[in-house]
Amino acid sequence: MIGILVAFTVVMTMVAYTVLAERRVLGFIQGRLGPNRVGPGGLLQPFADLLKFILKEDIVPDKSTRFVYFLAPVIATTAALMTIVVYPFGPEIHLPIIGTIRLVIARFDVGLLYVLGVTSVGVYGIALAGWSSNNKYSLMGGLRSSAQMISYELALGLALIGVILQSGTLDLYSIVEQQSGHLGITGWNLILVQPLGFVVYLIAAIAETNRVPFDLPEAETELVAGFHTEYSAMKFALFFLAEYVNMFTVSMLATTLFLGGWNGPFVHQLPWLGVFYFLGKVVFFLFFYIWLRGTLPRFRFDQLMGFGWKFLMPLAIINIVLTATIQWSGAFDYLGKFLKTTTGWGG
Amino acid sequence: MLGLLFILFAGMAIGCAISMVVQRNPLYGAISLIGVFISLSCLYVTLAAPFIAAVQVIVYAGAIMVLVVFVIMLLNVEDEERQPLRLRALVPIAIGLAAILFAETAFIIVFVHSSPGTPTTNISDVGLTSSIGAGLFTTYLLPFEITSILLLMAVVGAMTLARRGGLLPRNVVVVPGFQVLAKEVLDPRSTPDLTPVVARSTEEAEEVLDIKGAPHVTEEE
Repeated sequence: MIGILVAFTVVMTMVAYTVLAERRVLGFIQGRLGPNRVGPGGLLQPFADLLKFILKEDIVPDKSTRFVYFLAPVIATTAALMTIVVYPFGPEIHLPIIGTIRLVIARFDVGLLYVLGVTSVGVYGIALAGWSSNNKYSLMGGLRSSAQMISYELALGLALIGVILQSGTLDLYSIVEQQSGHLGITGWNLILVQPLGFVVYLIAAIAETNRVPFDLPEAETELVAGFHTEYSAMKFALFFLAEYVNMFTVSMLATTLFLGGWNGPFVHQLPWLGVFYFLGKVVFFLFFYIWLRGTLPRFRFDQLMGFGWKFLMPLAIINIVLTATIQWSGAFDYLGKFLKTTTGWGG
Repeated sequence: MLGLLFILFAGMAIGCAISMVVQRNPLYGAISLIGVFISLSCLYVTLAAPFIAAVQVIVYAGAIMVLVVFVIMLLNVEDEERQPLRLRALVPIAIGLAAILFAETAFIIVFVHSSPGTPTTNISDVGLTSSIGAGLFTTYLLPFEITSILLLMAVVGAMTLARRGGLLPRNVVVVPGFQVLAKEVLDPRSTPDLTPVVARSTEEAEEVLDIKGAPHVTEEE
């Protein structure tokens, strides 16, 4: 319970400051300053934004489908927040009074599948928002978004299978533990083992979170604001929150599966370092997202679909075949050695 | 604790199921069905079958129902009118069947509770991912492969049905606002002819082909 509170607070704070960082970094990329007036260097801007969201008038369109219109932002935010519980934030830590604790809220057999399942429920938030607003732009945004998320979910899931084959488990904590190599770096799945899977995952994850260059559901030049055109005040804020929490969880999954989670130099001596390594790697991914937004133009919709189905999917399948072959041949070598030592044959 | 959770999720499942049947708006029905699936998957978790629970959400709630919602949204289905009951004769039979089902369930519950020596604390690993995987690829390999071939057939069948007749040559560029139709669509009297006709509207295409006033394929049906 305390774990949930702490993780929630950490994630919320980081999400709030990701928004600020996004605005400032985008500002610098575009040769301007960004918001820097509220507090020292603009550090209090997130609180000003929150206050503004709360105080704004909440407008509900006349001919909207009321119940669904209210339900949609709730689904989006809940689905986004629910995945946080399975990520291991750090290794086992010894505290003076409480004793030894693991820095992971829930550890279960199918952690990875749980993440995929909850993420796939998040599609409803956007689709229902688009439908219930009774607005053509919203509907177009919602439809685009569902089509996009269904398509890229496939590539995303297939990219993860490589890691599952490699580690032989769906439990995220065990996957991280397996990635501790020399200095906590050489064991990362990204290096040598899953470079292709990492690239496919990263691209599919950006599409899953509806971010630039795959932000067609809210393409402002054609769809006003896409699925959340009719949403205002806190309901809009909830969608905004869901998007950034999704960015955050997707980054956490990338860190956990490919960058060794909390592994890093000297973690065995100082377990607390693990938390900072983990969050540091997540922040790197978040910066990467912002960087992309500042530099890349948007895809066209047919390009997006073609890219997902005709390029990323085959690439992910090739990755699975490659990983399986390597795993199998490794096992084969082991079998050869075993035969040689026990019976004197082969080799 | 587990009993409480069971009552909560089972109640949610039954409530959502009833709501699914009663709702007149098809989208509300679909949302209720999603609720049923999610409560069922929670029940699976309490029954120590996490893999089935995750698959239930990913496949049913996450994939199949998204398509259903998608179709409802695209067709913009209206609320259905309540029809007068035509199969009135079947109502007593339905009630009888429901009673039998209810009695069966009650019998099982009573029987299981009264029988001595039922193992309740036995922890099994049947529901875990590794045991399911091992089972699928050893004992149940043949059914597994047959299922995958069936799925492949379904995919290939969908592809063939969807793409039949509608194929445009590769060099045709589709520009929004323009219509690119095969000649046979515009003029069914002509023999199968897939030459593309580029025009701003159907009338213009007919003028280009000099077949003004010919019956369209769609109008015939």
